[in-house]
Amino acid sequence: MIVSKLFKKTLLIIIVLFAVIALTTLFSSGWNLYQDLTQEYKSKGTAIARSIAGSSVDTLLNRDVSTVQAMIDQFTEIIGVSYVFVVDAQGELISHTFIPNVPAEILNLQTSRNVEPTDIFIKGRGDFIDISAPIVEGAVGYVHVGMDKGIIMAQLKAAMIRQMYLLSLIFIASVAAAYVLVNRVSQPLNNLTEYSRKLAQHEFTAQVEIHSKDEVGLLAHTMQSMAIELSEVFERYELALKDAIIELQNTLAYLTTVIDHMADGLLVLDIDGIITHVNPALSAMFGMRESDLMGKSCRDIFGDDLAEIVFRSRHDPKAVFTTEIALAESRTGKAVATGIQQEYFPLEGTEKGIGSVVIIRDITSEKEVDRMKTDFISTVSHELRTPLTAVKGFTEIIKMKLEEDILKLVQIHDRKSEKAIMRVRDNITIILSESERLTKLIDDLLDIAKLESGKVEWKTEPVSMAEVISRAQDATSALFEKKGLVFTKTIDDSLPELSGDSDKLMQVVINLLSNAVKFTPAGFVTCAARRSNGEVVVSVIDSGIGISEGNQASIFEKFKQAGDTLTDKPRGTGLGLPICRQIIEHHGGRIWVESRPGKGSVFSFALPLSKVEHAELSASKP
Amino acid sequence: MPKVLIVEDEPLIRLLLEQTLEGLESCGVEVCAADNGIDAVEKIKAERPELVLLDVMMPKMNGFEVCSIVKQQLQLKEVYIIMLTAKGQEQDRLKAIEAGTDEFITKPFSIVEVADRVKAVLKIRM
Ligand SMILES: Nc1ncnc2c1ncn2[C@@H]1O[C@H](COP(=O)(O)OP(=O)(O)OP(=O)(O)O)[C@@H](O)[C@H]1O
Ligand SMILES: [Mg+2]
Repeated sequence: MIVSKLFKKTLLIIIVLFAVIALTTLFSSGWNLYQDLTQEYKSKGTAIARSIAGSSVDTLLNRDVSTVQAMIDQFTEIIGVSYVFVVDAQGELISHTFIPNVPAEILNLQTSRNVEPTDIFIKGRGDFIDISAPIVEGAVGYVHVGMDKGIIMAQLKAAMIRQMYLLSLIFIASVAAAYVLVNRVSQPLNNLTEYSRKLAQHEFTAQVEIHSKDEVGLLAHTMQSMAIELSEVFERYELALKDAIIELQNTLAYLTTVIDHMADGLLVLDIDGIITHVNPALSAMFGMRESDLMGKSCRDIFGDDLAEIVFRSRHDPKAVFTTEIALAESRTGKAVATGIQQEYFPLEGTEKGIGSVVIIRDITSEKEVDRMKTDFISTVSHELRTPLTAVKGFTEIIKMKLEEDILKLVQIHDRKSEKAIMRVRDNITIILSESERLTKLIDDLLDIAKLESGKVEWKTEPVSMAEVISRAQDATSALFEKKGLVFTKTIDDSLPELSGDSDKLMQVVINLLSNAVKFTPAGFVTCAARRSNGEVVVSVIDSGIGISEGNQASIFEKFKQAGDTLTDKPRGTGLGLPICRQIIEHHGGRIWVESRPGKGSVFSFALPLSKVEHAELSASKP
Repeated sequence: MPKVLIVEDEPLIRLLLEQTLEGLESCGVEVCAADNGIDAVEKIKAERPELVLLDVMMPKMNGFEVCSIVKQQLQLKEVYIIMLTAKGQEQDRLKAIEAGTDEFITKPFSIVEVADRVKAVLKIRM
């Protein structure tokens, strides 16, 4: 039997209430009954005692004990009367109804004029109320009547049991009534509960059969309309969700398609370097299947180099790390790794990257082109220099043989042959100087080609500019001597050390010095070096022909020479300054010219001090 | 009689070098030539020249290989080797030093310089 909770509670309340009521009524009525009965017995006993006392005066005065005995004996037959005894004025027992003997308690009872009842307990006989009545004001004696208390108790008990039966009946009836009533209230409530549970499980089509007009009915009605509204809301949300899912799927499909059609390989790794995504291009590059890659460790599949940049990218998500990596079929790839920042995945407590993305591009052909470029440069250098060496060498031999062997033997007879010999000598000198020029051109061309294609291996060493300048001075001293020019230097004593390639920097100074000599017919050339604002500035100052303003900008470009190349015979290739600019710019510096035509030129370059050095020097200055 | 071996694959340059050293023959210097690395190693083994003028760029076996065979494998330290490296190919110089060359002359060279160097090595006064 299903007992509803409501009923259980009601039952509990009924029991408690009932128990309280039952106990109080039981006690109060019991107590009243007891009082009534005692009172009744007392008055009964008093009446008996008085009547005995009244009627026994004569007999007692006559000392007719047997009559008294007979009289008191008949009283014992009255219900409730347990014993009767008579004592004389001295308290001497005259007659009694005790069989077989008089209990000790009775003998102890004081005789008094008082007719008040006394409670006594007689051992072996029970509780009694002893009521006494004086005979002739106690002059003759006293009559004592004992009323049995046990009978009172028995009557009380019977009455109590009756009352309890009655109460139980009432109790059962009330419980039954409560059950019926509670059920009537709780049944619709149960239905309603069941209904709301169904609603909670999104069963909006469920029905509830409550048509009553009371609060429950109202509640049921409200719930039903709420359910309808809810189901509408849910329907709307479901539609919106479906739309959102479709949009999401489309976006995802779009992204996947884009990724799958990328020419570059895409590799996504989690924070532990485990592969979580690859695209078909990547699988193809390594000749592996996607299933062989997913979930594997990057280090196991792609080796230490890639694992290293992936590791670094994770710890520095803003930087980009690259490395070369061997692909299938002996091709070469370039891997670019970047850390994934949590911008799109805001995880709490992850300050570091949450993984890495690696893009791998097949650079086999670029590498091939690069290699071809390098090969081309060295081939050209070889192929051009070999014939040039031969031309130059054989011309030198011709010159030597001519001077040493042939001309010594030839007798010069006339002006004509003398002139011819002069011509031959001059022409040989021209061939020699032109081949020299060609050699220099090739060197410069190769230099600039290498600089521009990044094929130069730069050294990074401590550079003392003073030393560089004096080495350049040594290398160009022959030029100065030839032209009879004065060379002076003004170099700061405490010139700080730079970091760079000292050979290349010397090449710059040599170029500037030889230009200065070349374009200074007479006068001086000075080289100055000083420190200013975190830079070392080196200037080559001459008193030569100068450069017009219009030409000053262009002379740092390749093959650009100042002046009219048609009238002024070019005395170089026009590659010296572009090479200088490349070298200086590689060192992070700048190069410029200040010049007044006819007065002279100042070519300067500035090289930055390394940041540390700059800071140290600035700090040490007061 | 001191011997000089010219190792050069370009016939013209070989000829040029031979002509440069022609003048030394009167001082009793014997000049011979090889046009490839393998041949050069054979000739060095057989003739034990005092001096070798060794070009770098050669087919079959390049100058670095010849040099390291002679200096390291054959342990012919007494053979003086001058390598002819191309100007601007700085890494060639490093390779030449690693291979054990005694010195180098950069191409394009001046024949006067070559003759002077050879004379200095052979200690011949003219
Ligand atoms: N100190 C100078 N005085 C006057 N003009 C100069 C000076 N230095 C350079 N120039 C001008 O700038 C031009 C370019 O110089 P650059 O060094 O680039 O070439 P070049 O000296 O002509 O040839 P190269 O140096 O290649 O032999 C020169 O031709 C010259 O006209
Ligand atoms: Mg110049």
